[in-house]
Amino acid sequence: MTARERGDTGGQDVLRRAGDASVLILTSLADGSKHGYALIQDIKGFAGLQLGPGTLYGALDRLERMGLIEALPAEDRRQPYRITAAGVVALRAHLDSIERVSSVGRLRLGLEGI
Amino acid sequence: MPGSRSMRLVECALRCYPRRWRSRHGDEAAEIACLLIGNGTPARSVAWSYLMGAVRTRLVIGPRRRLGAAAAALVLVAGSVGVPLALLSASAPANAASVAHSRAASPRPAHPRHGGSRPDEPRHGSGRGALDRCDRHDGC
Repeated sequence: MTARERGDTGGQDVLRRAGDASVLILTSLADGSKHGYALIQDIKGFAGLQLGPGTLYGALDRLERMGLIEALPAEDRRQPYRITAAGVVALRAHLDSIERVSSVGRLRLGLEGI
Repeated sequence: MPGSRSMRLVECALRCYPRRWRSRHGDEAAEIACLLIGNGTPARSVAWSYLMGAVRTRLVIGPRRRLGAAAAALVLVAGSVGVPLALLSASAPANAASVAHSRAASPRPAHPRHGGSRPDEPRHGSGRGALDRCDRHDGC
């Protein structure tokens, strides 16, 4: 496994090109492990959009290859996942990046302080 | 519980995934489809999502296969460029022969109308230019 696949890029925002689904999944897993259907329901709750199951599994496979999440032992037919230490670092870097863009956008729209 | 027709649609889409993926996620994926369809998500939407996921999964190239894919692409490019070049080079002698034949049949005029060299300039090979030069010089 390469450093890039592990998400070990020296604090860079590795999630920039990973897609929105990956960010939503990592955000959902940030407060504890979840399986596929629980992820879909949680993301629908906090982001207001329902991930398609094909999109979900694609993103889960990609995040697992990057070493940002890991599969836990299966419970019955359900496969729970949890965020790894590299996943926490990557999510934090991505949220910082989004926050910088958000603050600049708000400033330029004159929304700062409202 | 979703109808058998809906589930058949989803199962068809799930069958498009590689065997390895199905052995790992197949049961859970079918269960998620049941739950989503039971909650009111259209079966077609679930099946379509799985179908697109299967296409993406099959298109993803693993790191071990990248070298092979790159080599295959190189061979493909070399073949697509090399074959036309080989055909051109094979037909080049025939073209050259026909050009030489046409030049011999219609010799170049001594005084071209547009541009070209002056009539008193020495010319290579035989022709009126060479004859003119010999007429002017005693030693020739």
